Amino acid sequence: MVFAHGFGGDQSMWRYVAPVFATDHRVVLFDHSGCGASHPTAYDPDRHADLSGYVADVVEIVEAVADDPVTLVGHSVSAMIALLAAAERPDLFDRLVLVGPSPRYIDDDGYHGGFTAAEIDELLETMDANYLGWTQAMAPVIVGNPDRPALGDELAEVFRRNDPAVARKFARVTFLGDNRADLVRVRTPCLVVQSRVDVIAPLEVGHFVHEHLPDSDLVVIDSVGHCPNLSHPALLVAAMRDWLGGDRW
Amino acid sequence: MVTSRAERWALAPVALLLLDAEVRVLDANHEFLRMIEVPDVEAVAGRRLADLLTVGGRIYWETHVSPLLHIEGRVDEVAVELRTPHGREPVLLTATEREVRGERLVEVAMLSARERSRFEQELVGARRAAEDAERRVRLLHGIAADLASVAGLDGVVWVLLRTAVTLLGAGDAALWTAQESGPLRRWGGAEALAAPTIDELTEPAVREDGTVVVPLRTAGALLGVLALAPRRAAGADPLDLGTAAAAGQLAALALARATTHEQSVSVASELQGAMLSDGIVDDPAVEISARYRPGVHDLQVGGDWYDTFRVAPDVVALSVGDVVGRGLKAATSMGQLRTAVRAASDTGLPPEEVLGRLDRFVDRTGTGFMASLVYAELDLGRGALRYTCAGHLPPLLVPADGDSHYLWEARSTPLGVRGTTPRVADTVALAPGDLLLLFTDGVVERRDRPLGLALDELAEIVTNALEAGLDGEDLLAAVVARAPQDDDACLLAVRWLGPRTTDGPAPAVEPTAGSAGGPSADEERPG
Repeated sequence: MVFAHGFGGDQSMWRYVAPVFATDHRVVLFDHSGCGASHPTAYDPDRHADLSGYVADVVEIVEAVADDPVTLVGHSVSAMIALLAAAERPDLFDRLVLVGPSPRYIDDDGYHGGFTAAEIDELLETMDANYLGWTQAMAPVIVGNPDRPALGDELAEVFRRNDPAVARKFARVTFLGDNRADLVRVRTPCLVVQSRVDVIAPLEVGHFVHEHLPDSDLVVIDSVGHCPNLSHPALLVAAMRDWLGGDRW
Repeated sequence: MVTSRAERWALAPVALLLLDAEVRVLDANHEFLRMIEVPDVEAVAGRRLADLLTVGGRIYWETHVSPLLHIEGRVDEVAVELRTPHGREPVLLTATEREVRGERLVEVAMLSARERSRFEQELVGARRAAEDAERRVRLLHGIAADLASVAGLDGVVWVLLRTAVTLLGAGDAALWTAQESGPLRRWGGAEALAAPTIDELTEPAVREDGTVVVPLRTAGALLGVLALAPRRAAGADPLDLGTAAAAGQLAALALARATTHEQSVSVASELQGAMLSDGIVDDPAVEISARYRPGVHDLQVGGDWYDTFRVAPDVVALSVGDVVGRGLKAATSMGQLRTAVRAASDTGLPPEEVLGRLDRFVDRTGTGFMASLVYAELDLGRGALRYTCAGHLPPLLVPADGDSHYLWEARSTPLGVRGTTPRVADTVALAPGDLLLLFTDGVVERRDRPLGLALDELAEIVTNALEAGLDGEDLLAAVVARAPQDDDACLLAVRWLGPRTTDGPAPAVEPTAGSAGGPSADEERPG
């Protein structure tokens, strides 16, 4: 079981979810290039100028860690990365769990993505406003691992080296992309996990994804916010357990 | 009088909020209500904090602040903006999470960050400007270095189209260059990249689709136009007009240099072609072919030459040489020296004395100093070849009925250099059908190995080509094809067919006849 974190975080976003599955799965966590403790040279502005670079990374990771098809769990933008990876390499993926997926954040003719183009520009501005505090603000997420406090300083150092400009680019890739047309290409069985209230990926978008995926189930969990993996891990785990261990298997 | 704690919370000079587990507002103090310009708590009670922020702030809250709050129970000094009836209010937000009787509560404090925000924006602006400047300088250095590595128009065009994508970040690029007459000439780019408009010929401009168009001018003259289309990937940065314009200045200079260079190259190569055009003697007793191939990496012509001419009715002189240097000057020096060889030779004058005369020519004129040269005279009636090498590679003799070998005798220093050895010449006797190959050093592939090995390889190439049935021009073409591409290569092949008959073509060569060679030739040949 491979867990892919979303925009704004690193693998510690799975800290309340992954350990539960580690009891009966081999669990693989990673930081996307340019995020968390990834090596500074792993990020390539050309390769990662759109999602395809991240998709290629995931394919390489899965090829490296598993001989058989895996269950890939993707949160936020990584839900799209997971879908694109499965469309390209269906042989590598058994099942996909998509937490808060959105194929398109910007409203379009007849499509409600939740944001206008101007609002996304505003997000990029906000990121700029936090330019100075950016790394400091996020550092505790990765260093705050109570089980391994010694890791703290070392990781904080790694994190400080990470380029805020990379985070800004990742934001552009995440929020300016449009992958609606790719949904139909995915034949892998998918579980769409949707928060009841999510301003980033609203309920409507969850339904859109479910309806356009050829083989998917939709579960709306009683959570608020874009990160149920942190705010409501028990609900997310239950939904996943239910689906993964359900009748269809 | 001491006020109550509740009153102090309500009146604190900092904006305070109490939120429930779903980050909805339970209570807010006066300072917060003042900030967002609402009259009372009822106006915000029950609303989610994220909804009170600008959209950017909302996403930032959901993707960064909220996860942090969940993991750490606390966030400090996060810059977000509140929505107010009159726009935005930048604030610094600190939030903590705690449990009260099994219920999760979030306490939030906010300070207005208007001043700090302005200061930070200036800092961010300055930092970004510094980063941009550094990146731009590095990039322009890269382009300048690449442009310096090429000379001709083709090379400059190639470098510009390539660096537009690799360094300037364009998704596609097209270049138009001005021609002596007629319209601009287009190089590269997809059809969607439209030709420049009249306005775009004067000032750098950005088209609606993000394409940057830069006219390339030096001293007011339009040399070309560079168009850069942006990459389509969502994460790609827009093209920077300033950087493109600066790159355009480099490009214009490079185009100007390439144009001048090509003019000089074409003058030099025309001159060289003209000078070499009259160099083949036509006689039934001999088959002569020659080939000159300029090096490809440097478009400049070299100073290689070949020549054949009659010094007597029955004697043909052969010369192949190489003056030092490249370009127009080398071409003119070559022409002078080649003519000097003709002037210096004379009926009955031994080749070593021809070299002596050339030395004096070099001394007097300074032209051709250090030039290398092989000079030979072939007696068409008897097949006697008298030759001398001044600092030049030895000729290759390929007998009609034996193994090939180099003529290593009669060696002395390059022209104008007085060595301890006198100018000398040697004689070999050719048999009908024997082939003599004179060449310059560009024909031999050195690759950091001893000259002997390189010469062995050349002999093998020649032998193989002959066995494959190639001869004359075809033979030389095959040999040149194996020569290193970067240097000029010059070759002269001379096959003596035997004494000419008075009333017809030369007798057919019978390699197995083996009777026409003189005594000295027999000594050199294995039976």
